[in-house]
Amino acid sequence: MSANARSDGAARTGRVEMRNIVKCFPGVRANSQVCFDIDPGEVHALLGENGAGKSTLMRQLYGMYQPDEGEILIDGRRLVFRSPADAIRAGIGMIHQHFMLVPTLTVAQNVALGQPSARAPLVDIKGVTERIETLAQEYGLKVDPRAYVWQLSVGEQQRVEILKALYRGAGLIILDEPTAVLTPQEVKDLFETLRRMVAEGHSLIFISHKLYEVMAISDRVTVLRDGKVIGTKLTREVTRDELVKMMVGREVKEVEARPLTPGPVRLRIRGLSAMGDRGTEALKDIDLDIRSGEIVGLAGVSGNGQRELAECLAGMRRPLAGTISAGGRDIGAASLNERVDAGMAYIPEERMRDGAIREFSVQENVFLHDRTKAPFARGIFLNFAKMRSHAAALVRDFSVKTASLDTPIKNLSGGNIQKLIMARELSRKPMVLVAAQPTRGVDIGATDYIHQRLLEQRESGTAILLVSEDLDEIRALSDRIAVMYEGRIIGIVERGEASVEQIGLMMAGVAMSDAMKG
Amino acid sequence: MKGLISLDVISGIIHTMIGLATPFLYAAIGETFAQSSGVVNLGVDGIMLLSAFAAFYVSLVSGSLALGLLAAAVVGLLMGLLMSLVSVTLKAEQGVSGIGLYMFGLGMSSLLFKVLIGTVKTIDGFKPLPIPFLSDIPVVGKMLFRTNILVYCAFLLVPLAWWVLNKTTLGLKIKAVGQAPAAADSLGISVNGIRYLSVCIGSVLAGIAGASLSISLLNLFQDNLTAGQGFIAVALVYFGGWSPVGVLGGALLFSIVNSFQLWMQVLGAKIPSNIAVMLPYLLTIVALTISVNRARQPAALNKPFERGES
Amino acid sequence: MRLRRAFIAFLLAVGLVGAAVAAPFRIAVVMPSATTDMAFSQSMWSALMIIQKEMGGPSALEIKYTDNMYNVPDAAAAIRDYASQGFDIVIAHGSQYGSSVQEIATDFPQTTFAWGTDVNTFGLPNVYAYTAAAEQGGFVNGVLAAKLTKSRKIGVTGPVEVGDAKTYIDGFVQGVMSVNKGITVSKTWTGSFSDVALMTAAAKTHIANGADVLTGSSQSVVGSIGAAQDNGHVMWFGTQADQASLAPNLVVCSQVYDWTGMLREIIAQHKAGVLGGKTYVLTLENKGLKMAFNPSYRLPGFAKAAAERAIKGIVDGSIKVQP
Repeated sequence: MSANARSDGAARTGRVEMRNIVKCFPGVRANSQVCFDIDPGEVHALLGENGAGKSTLMRQLYGMYQPDEGEILIDGRRLVFRSPADAIRAGIGMIHQHFMLVPTLTVAQNVALGQPSARAPLVDIKGVTERIETLAQEYGLKVDPRAYVWQLSVGEQQRVEILKALYRGAGLIILDEPTAVLTPQEVKDLFETLRRMVAEGHSLIFISHKLYEVMAISDRVTVLRDGKVIGTKLTREVTRDELVKMMVGREVKEVEARPLTPGPVRLRIRGLSAMGDRGTEALKDIDLDIRSGEIVGLAGVSGNGQRELAECLAGMRRPLAGTISAGGRDIGAASLNERVDAGMAYIPEERMRDGAIREFSVQENVFLHDRTKAPFARGIFLNFAKMRSHAAALVRDFSVKTASLDTPIKNLSGGNIQKLIMARELSRKPMVLVAAQPTRGVDIGATDYIHQRLLEQRESGTAILLVSEDLDEIRALSDRIAVMYEGRIIGIVERGEASVEQIGLMMAGVAMSDAMKG
Repeated sequence: MKGLISLDVISGIIHTMIGLATPFLYAAIGETFAQSSGVVNLGVDGIMLLSAFAAFYVSLVSGSLALGLLAAAVVGLLMGLLMSLVSVTLKAEQGVSGIGLYMFGLGMSSLLFKVLIGTVKTIDGFKPLPIPFLSDIPVVGKMLFRTNILVYCAFLLVPLAWWVLNKTTLGLKIKAVGQAPAAADSLGISVNGIRYLSVCIGSVLAGIAGASLSISLLNLFQDNLTAGQGFIAVALVYFGGWSPVGVLGGALLFSIVNSFQLWMQVLGAKIPSNIAVMLPYLLTIVALTISVNRARQPAALNKPFERGES
Repeated sequence: MRLRRAFIAFLLAVGLVGAAVAAPFRIAVVMPSATTDMAFSQSMWSALMIIQKEMGGPSALEIKYTDNMYNVPDAAAAIRDYASQGFDIVIAHGSQYGSSVQEIATDFPQTTFAWGTDVNTFGLPNVYAYTAAAEQGGFVNGVLAAKLTKSRKIGVTGPVEVGDAKTYIDGFVQGVMSVNKGITVSKTWTGSFSDVALMTAAAKTHIANGADVLTGSSQSVVGSIGAAQDNGHVMWFGTQADQASLAPNLVVCSQVYDWTGMLREIIAQHKAGVLGGKTYVLTLENKGLKMAFNPSYRLPGFAKAAAERAIKGIVDGSIKVQP
């Protein structure tokens, strides 16, 4: 089975075929008669919305799940993978979206883990270290084998994952959303490494929902939707719009923001500092103004203070110092209700934790804030008829797909829950809107809808802070982009002023003046 | 306090400490293996009790201490398999199954003692085994090198365990399974297999800890012979930050304070006895508060593994 | 614990089915340690076995017991269980059970409760209290120890400074001092009635410090005796039960608690309709305390003579021992 294990640089896995794969989980048919194949030396992209069945399919190829039906063949020979160990022996490696690393061990120990040792029962750290250095050299994967994994950046951790697969002689490597956590520079480096791997004869499966990456790296692309293969195309013969249509099932146009002249300052932040969850200072001396009719995008690598800033504005985190004023009114110490009264609205990052109550119905979730106000309440009594008609209007206006107003919100898809939360927040006609990761985990159709709504809100004069890790989203919608690094705003650029690369440099901590030179 | 600083007294304190530390070392180093793989075994005390009984009874009946020791190890292994079955395969709450194991060991050892032996008896346990040359060194020789085989082995276990956990492929797997089971699984390591092995290593050592009480240090068996030492051993694992060397430090600290307070009482120091007996526990709590390093705690401690979660 | 209790109860029940023709007299006892502890619990258990034999076996006297009840709430539950099952006499054999007895006894006025060691009957007509003047035997042991020690260092290993553990040791020290004030008696308390390992370490510490005589109280002294055994040249003085069998060469003498006299009287009173209200104190004079000289230990004549003088003196009141 292990024809190719550990032959320097020349690792090859033959033609891999998955035939008629069916995999069901309780209540879900995750893969339905899926056929997928990959030739040696090929980059085959697997494209699809969240929940389309991409990861499930690949976990079967890696032996983590066993298919209910169908078969896996390598060079025409049928193989059964009972565990990842079998897949590894067959020359298959997988880079998981959530890294499979042991943070308390060193890079070399992580790489050696579970592999036979030349000096058994001892770990051959010296041998492993040398081999890592050779591989790192060969593929441009710079990482210190002696460092502990917890000391590494996300990009370095990903390089360790790739080294692990290469060390095991994987000829075929599955990359599950490898760019989701990387800065643009790191994405560039990753693609460089991937190209070298292909040149060495490796085959790659590249899972993504980012189209431009798929267009940039792959030879062929297979689109999955609702667990079924919609089609497999040569990348050079297909356009971006065609792929979107295959993924979503209908046409989606890119949004564009009309030029507008912003009005007066609605949200003013001065000298804001706050502690993070780990007890360290997560926000340091933030100054930011947002005007009426303006979207300010807050960019940055996850964990640099964006979430804490949004929470400070929403009143869910107490600032250490500094002031926040909305429409001239100081809300730094205001309660949640006072903020709502001051015209603030908040679309939280964790929509199921902070934005909705799972077991409550659609209608009840609409009235989490406004249940004590006219016209929905008189004294201590609720006016159910009014509430129902209001909820029905929101569901209709924001095209939320739900069986009824009484359906528990947990039964809705992520996109529809987000639309409902948005409908609730926007129906109050807020003066300031904080939208944290409004399209994360939301399918392309809903994303498009949410983007349009945000732009409409901008035109109606709301000041919007858009927090997002999706740089494309930020660039498409924002009038100005503020980049955060280690709790500070490291720079603010106007629309069109900076390239993706320049923003990426700032996200990595390069000062604005230096980044803009490059 | 007079005479507390004399060489004889210091040597006495250390000699007593070494004896007291022995069962803690076996049990706590064993527990270090189990916890490093992600399983908290609170049943250590129960394993110690039943194994102490098995060692005592088999030695008494067969006249062979080696057979007694073997019996303790076998009982430890069987109880380790039981713990693994319940907490690893069946994924029961580890704290509850550990307490269950403790109750089983406590009750079973007491019942068997009543039925098979009936009354407290003493036997000749392992005899002191002076190490040639070393035992002739003045003071130190008497202090360290004139004790019995099980005591020597307890101290040799520390570097051995350190070596296994830090230098061998097995140790790497154990730690990986305790820190990031999903990662270990993705590399084809059997998470449950490694946990079974680690829990069983720990339980066999707990069994030997029990034997060290009944056939090496105390040379008798009585109901609830351990008086909770197994639980202190579990605490020592936290104290030692999941490292055999840390566990050694904790075991020695706890034992030396105990030994010190006994000597103070014997020498007639004017300290109320209830304060004196509190000292080891007090000091342990203080040291635990200061020293505990949560960062080294196995991240998957107490969490059964299910593939495909997260 | 409950399972084990049920199991033992089941065994006893099976044994009793055949015999239970005429309704037997029924006694239940709850004890803090095992019936085989060579100390406090065993002293009561042995006495009950003797009484049972005297009365004609299990068909005449049914005895049930729950041991290892160091947890007081568990013990209280057991005491209440037995009372509600209609036992004639329920013995709560532990000074820590006092408040439980006080509370339960008022709910079962037809049942006799006996508890010790203490002197308080709470003014209830169905409660007996019992205790032992442990200082008396302690004094006798102390005299013997003082006569026999060569190193003039004596070690005492006790659990906690309360009850008969304390009075025994106080008497022992008085006995030693009555012979020779130059002897050093050092005491260690382990803080636990059951920690055998620590008791052993304490005894070893005394021995390392030069003591050639040891004594002590509680069920954990088996550890001290083991330590003496290991050394081989240290004398041991016992209390509560006859500990000679543990180390036939080293045990010189044990003070034995003999509860049979008290039990006979309580049973007779119960049959006569008197359910309690009295305190029993075991003394050398009323033969509740006995000095068991170990026949296998070759005790020099002068020492034995001194011990017998001390016993006589205590009985006739010419020697007063402070508890």
